[in-house]
Amino acid sequence: MQKCIGVIIGGKSSNQYGSLCETRPAYMLPYGGRYRLIDFTLSNLANNDFSNVILYGGRNIRSTLDHVGNGAPWELNRRRSGLVIFPAVVGPDGMNSNQLETLNETMTFYEEAKEDYLYVVDPMLIDKEDLTDTYDRFIEEDYDVLLFYTNKEDGLGKHIGEKKLIFNSQGELVNIGTNLGTQEKFSLLTKVGFIKKEVFINLVKSSIEKGDAKDLTEAIANNCSRLKIGLHEEKENVEIIRGLRSFYDSNMKLLETQFYDDIFYKNGVLLTKSKDEPSTLYSDESKVSNSLIANGCIIEGQVENSIIFRGVKIGKGAIIKNSILFQKTEIESDAVIINTITDKYVTVKSGVSIVGSQNLPYVIAKNLVVEK
Amino acid sequence: MRARKRVVAMLLAGGQGSRLKGLTKKIAKPAVPFGGKYRIIDFALSNATNSDIRDIGVLTQYKPFLLNTHLGNGAAWDYDRNSGGLRVLPPFATEEGGRWYEGTANAIYENIDFLDDLAPEYVLILSGDHIYKMNYNELLDYHKEKNSACTIAVMEVPWEEASRFGILNTDKDNKIVEFDEKPENPKNNLASMGIYMFNWSTLREFLIKDAEDKDSDHDFGKNVLPAILNEGYDMYAWKFDGYWKDVGTVKSYWEANLDLLNDNNLNLYDKKERIFTKAKNLPPHFIANGAVVKKALINEACRVYGTVKNSVLFSSVIIEEGAEVVNSVILSNVVIKKGAKVYNAVINEDCIIDEKQEIGSPDDKNVYLVDDEGICVD
Repeated sequence: MQKCIGVIIGGKSSNQYGSLCETRPAYMLPYGGRYRLIDFTLSNLANNDFSNVILYGGRNIRSTLDHVGNGAPWELNRRRSGLVIFPAVVGPDGMNSNQLETLNETMTFYEEAKEDYLYVVDPMLIDKEDLTDTYDRFIEEDYDVLLFYTNKEDGLGKHIGEKKLIFNSQGELVNIGTNLGTQEKFSLLTKVGFIKKEVFINLVKSSIEKGDAKDLTEAIANNCSRLKIGLHEEKENVEIIRGLRSFYDSNMKLLETQFYDDIFYKNGVLLTKSKDEPSTLYSDESKVSNSLIANGCIIEGQVENSIIFRGVKIGKGAIIKNSILFQKTEIESDAVIINTITDKYVTVKSGVSIVGSQNLPYVIAKNLVVEK
Repeated sequence: MRARKRVVAMLLAGGQGSRLKGLTKKIAKPAVPFGGKYRIIDFALSNATNSDIRDIGVLTQYKPFLLNTHLGNGAAWDYDRNSGGLRVLPPFATEEGGRWYEGTANAIYENIDFLDDLAPEYVLILSGDHIYKMNYNELLDYHKEKNSACTIAVMEVPWEEASRFGILNTDKDNKIVEFDEKPENPKNNLASMGIYMFNWSTLREFLIKDAEDKDSDHDFGKNVLPAILNEGYDMYAWKFDGYWKDVGTVKSYWEANLDLLNDNNLNLYDKKERIFTKAKNLPPHFIANGAVVKKALINEACRVYGTVKNSVLFSSVIIEEGAEVVNSVILSNVVIKKGAKVYNAVINEDCIIDEKQEIGSPDDKNVYLVDDEGICVD
């Protein structure tokens, strides 16, 4: 992928995650015991040999700078190219720009880059994919844009509001719309995918001039008939995180062996910033079942159906069920935590019980000390 | 650069470690995995990093491939510096032909150019095969305070074991008066840990003298240290009272690993003095329904369906249903198949223990080493 720039557009502010996104952009949400959501995108780019990667970081960028930094864990700390983080752009009126304006602000970067193509991704997706064949097809067929989509069955309306591909009776793409849950099965646009750099530059500029679009997908939709658009169906596991529920469910799904294997081992290893945490220590009294546990923990209590992040301490007699405990959470002795997500550095004092609902986990904010 | 603390560490990592048997068949002793996710050399390297020692030379010799891979450019210990940092120093050839390092002192002598280039005030000699956490600055401060030519870190060992060590006889002020290399009747129980702080100018002079001496074994303990003392230089012993273990045999290797399950002063969970290592970046481990895990250290990417008691599991180990692992050390990528029973054992990397196979027994005093050539008793 030496002729292609990876462009990660993230950082859209969101109030869908309780207090979890007060201190971080949604793509920085902790995931799977030791990762952040952005690790999927960065690892996927690294495993597909991208060496020039742009991350639109959005606001609240401190945790991004700490975790992503110069991109070393993904081998993106290069002398030539490498990883660049673009912080949020704020207009003269103090308002945040929309996506197209943000892209336009950084247009010089694209105009001067030696690469001819872009690969535009959404960091809220959990997928790992070998892009070789798709990229080759994009070049050979000489598409302007190659959109990535996945077919979703959505009887429950979990994907309402997602971008949807609309086809005519001949099966040709005619537009990009929004899923309102009217169909049992629909084609969900997962990411813009590959786009020619010249096409991208023209689209952004002309759309801003006309003022008829706020983001790249809208700009493509407006020009559907004029562009040569190809489609690529993603058939592997693709999870989309759009709120607390899907975030919780997707973490819990890791307790299924098949999903764990797909997510962690298929198409290259998942990389993240290493913390040199020691082994996890289980005591004589510990009782653990069906749980995912990261390194650096000290476990003396009972853990069931849970995801435990690095450096968590669980005291004697404590009970943890159906919960996700972020890094450095400390659960003191005899505390009970059920259906709950604790953010980083939460302390739950001895004897306290916290029980969330089966349908929506309870969230305890970062650094909070919960006392009786 | 003058502002730098002028200590250069020289880490002796050439050890063959033949008493570790199958564990060192392919790798040098310092590169042997330890404690679930480390290699033995990580302890000395991390101590040096945590003591803010900026430059370190690692002397390699025996089967260095894996050791070199592990060290890389030293980034894992923050030793990837523009100048200095970590340097791997293997033996090399000169106009007079190739020369293997003949002894600990000779290894340093052969690298005088490296040290002269860095021009340190002090040189710290370390060994790559001990498990301990130490702040070398305390040793350095003591060395400076006593105006010592050479300061040796010592530990009180049990009297009955004292004759296995180099024993130092000191006066009330901890000044060294006599060396006893492995004495039959030790006069005290202060054993040398093989950690020496030297004034570089003094060491340099004696290394050159030692190299010219054809009868010398070119060894610090046997030759160089007694020579410095005999010339009338002041040498002091500095007492260390933390956890320290030379993992010389399969049994002591097994013991040191299991020591981590108990309170042992080593505190691997102390973030201020972390032990660093090259990260494998593997996913968290999974404990299944029905698994029993009691008193154990478990690492990244393990999957436990059976029973694990009083044991250390390295990364990517699979314990299948009904399998039982007790008092054992299981290295990376091992699979313990259904119904197998493992007691008092060290299982080397990549081994597969067959279904219902039994190794050791619960009331056994022996320690078993399992590798691709079979089982041996230590």
